[in-house]
Amino acid sequence: MIPRYLDWAATAPPYADILEQATTHATTLYANPSSQHRAGVAAHELLEGARADLAMLIGTTPGRIIFTSGGTESDTIVALSTLTTAAPKSVVISAIEHAALYEQARILKSLGTTVIMVKPDRDGFIDPATVATAIRPDTALVAVMAVNNETGAIQPIKAIADAVHEAAAHSRRQPFIHCDAVQALGKFPVEPEAWGIDGAAFSAHKLGGPRGCGALYLRRPISPLACGGGQESGMRPGTHNTPGAWAFAQAAMRSATMLEQNLARARHLEALIIDGIASIPEARTVPEGRRPGDARYSPYIVSMAFPGLGGETMQRLLDEAGIAVSTGAACSGSKKERRVLDAMGIEPRLSFASIRVSTGRSTTDEDVSTFLDAARAAYAHYRL
Amino acid sequence: MLDTLYLIKIGEIRLKEGNRGEFERFLRQDLTRRLTTIEHRLSSREGRFYLKVDGTSAKEVEFILSRTPGINAWARSLRAIKDMQSIAKAALQVLEPAMARGAGTFKIEARRSDKSFELDSYGIARALGSALLDAHPDIHVDVHKPDITIFVEIREKAYVYGDGFAGVRGLPVGSGGRGLLLLSGGIDSPVAGFRMLSRGLSLESLYFHSHPYTSQQAWDKVRDLAANLATFSGGIVMHTMQFTEVQLKIKKDAPPDRSTLYLRACMMMAADMVARSRVLNAIVTGESLGQVASQTAENMRFTESYTSYPVLRPLVGTDKEDTIRIARSIGTYELSILPYEDCCVLFAPKHPVLKAQFNAEREAFDHAGLVDVVTEAVRTMQTITLPFSFTPPRAEVRR
Repeated sequence: MIPRYLDWAATAPPYADILEQATTHATTLYANPSSQHRAGVAAHELLEGARADLAMLIGTTPGRIIFTSGGTESDTIVALSTLTTAAPKSVVISAIEHAALYEQARILKSLGTTVIMVKPDRDGFIDPATVATAIRPDTALVAVMAVNNETGAIQPIKAIADAVHEAAAHSRRQPFIHCDAVQALGKFPVEPEAWGIDGAAFSAHKLGGPRGCGALYLRRPISPLACGGGQESGMRPGTHNTPGAWAFAQAAMRSATMLEQNLARARHLEALIIDGIASIPEARTVPEGRRPGDARYSPYIVSMAFPGLGGETMQRLLDEAGIAVSTGAACSGSKKERRVLDAMGIEPRLSFASIRVSTGRSTTDEDVSTFLDAARAAYAHYRL
Repeated sequence: MLDTLYLIKIGEIRLKEGNRGEFERFLRQDLTRRLTTIEHRLSSREGRFYLKVDGTSAKEVEFILSRTPGINAWARSLRAIKDMQSIAKAALQVLEPAMARGAGTFKIEARRSDKSFELDSYGIARALGSALLDAHPDIHVDVHKPDITIFVEIREKAYVYGDGFAGVRGLPVGSGGRGLLLLSGGIDSPVAGFRMLSRGLSLESLYFHSHPYTSQQAWDKVRDLAANLATFSGGIVMHTMQFTEVQLKIKKDAPPDRSTLYLRACMMMAADMVARSRVLNAIVTGESLGQVASQTAENMRFTESYTSYPVLRPLVGTDKEDTIRIARSIGTYELSILPYEDCCVLFAPKHPVLKAQFNAEREAFDHAGLVDVVTEAVRTMQTITLPFSFTPPRAEVRR
């Protein structure tokens, strides 16, 4: 166990009992769910049970849930499906997307797709009207994430979907509206049908499920680029990870039952963190105007900056004190790691000095206070 | 069984007739140390070395021979009894692998110190040539630019060998004194170290670390670079000095545009103290004139005024492309370009001073009172020894 783990946005410690049970399933219900025999049918039932559970959690039907290998694959299935038609096209994606979509868009661009980036405002939000204006008659895909993994900014997905629908109302082609909801599932109500989106990506390990498992909500059929044995309605071929899918659904359901309590706790911790930052001279949240209880942000994720001390240096010092956080910016100057903050217009002096702290279901007040004490001491001693 | 023989040509040191004994002594010492774990017999005769080993150690021995300064070239030599049939058989063993590598022409160079041998040098070459052509009609003789030369020496036995391989050349490690290399994770300083090792300067290395601003990975990278240099020097000492307090004091008390300049002056000062206590004779750096804006003659004059040891800058007039070429050939390039910074950018000035005004700058620097923090850093220096290794570390990027 990592002594003080404050990097839940990177991954969540899994539910040990669910993983253990999943291992038992792996060794007992091991048959291929696509097999026709009795054993295969039993495995199939376990898989479909998981699918139904997950579908119910997000208010949809099992037929709209595809199991994948994770959030990244769910995103890339959608992004690459745009390549199965030869016609010239464009995609509209937010500039704050996770690398899973951002880097994939670079590939699309190199293959002839026009990529239109929508920048966030200074507080890290994507404006629905700006997205709508970016839509062109040939836009095949619009992608905006539900919760940004660096700043915690919760995007107005429903408003964006509405704006896109209106903008494309008279178009022959309706762009596919996709939402990377990896940082949302298990923490907030996720309602793709109510939001009016066509696709959403989910990841198990962010909410205590196993690594290598995810799901894709699909309201509209797409033509996937990868083909194979036809599993998952052909959307994601490959033998199913039955125990993984089961564990994913279990973890998701457990998170759902605790959703409100965990959210309240997260708000409490968010207040401790942000008030703590405010008490350290010159330290600040990123973006600067963020206050505790601001419902536009996920309380689980807080970015902060310590001007005059490199984020990587702060992360190193905290690591040496047994506290695990993430850097929002790297000292090596690698551009992609400051991309989101740069897109928001955060000055390099701050983005270079930023770290990200993220909490989860078992984070304690003491974890946060230890972090604040260590950060305060490190900053005082080592700032330049 | 010591059944494999290497003939080692020591080029440059043969020229220094008067000092030959001394240089051969250094080379013999260096080779003997590197061969500690390998059963061997090393002898010298007529300005060459002969190394006998067991064939199973060939790979390690050849690694050593290819990385020992002072060796011009070396070849695996076959021994035969002194009759043309045996000699021809040995010559085929040299010729055939070369043919497999594409050689189409050859020539023979024969020497005999045993004058009682039936054929003279010319006769040996002719007889052997015919024998080889008989065995391989498709190959030709070219006495001007052969693809391969086959050497035959008749002494107490017959020795047959091919062109062999080029060595590092230069002078044996230690024959030129002992120096202190200022080693960083960049491309230049390892190459500067290699250059001086080749000129016979044995080296200790000194790395300036600034925890927590620089990472453990940055240190690991420098350690790996030093370990690669150790294959050329036969082992190397690596000193690590924590320069954090020096950096902080400079940041606090020096004008911002002077920070890099003062840092380098402090490094020279520290190096001077280390050279003194370790009884070394020179300081080596990877500086190159004009490579970065602040590497000017004026700045060099300023920084080197904080040491009384000669500052050897083998790359001072070298084009970066050539430096990179050498770095690749000695195996340090891939390591040097790993992204672990050994100096935090927050310390570097946006507009560094380009031309230090010597007297004024010396006065200003002396007023900054940096001697104490530098002395303290020297006092807490940590030292490790990196041995010669047959498998120096290679570059691995995490994630």
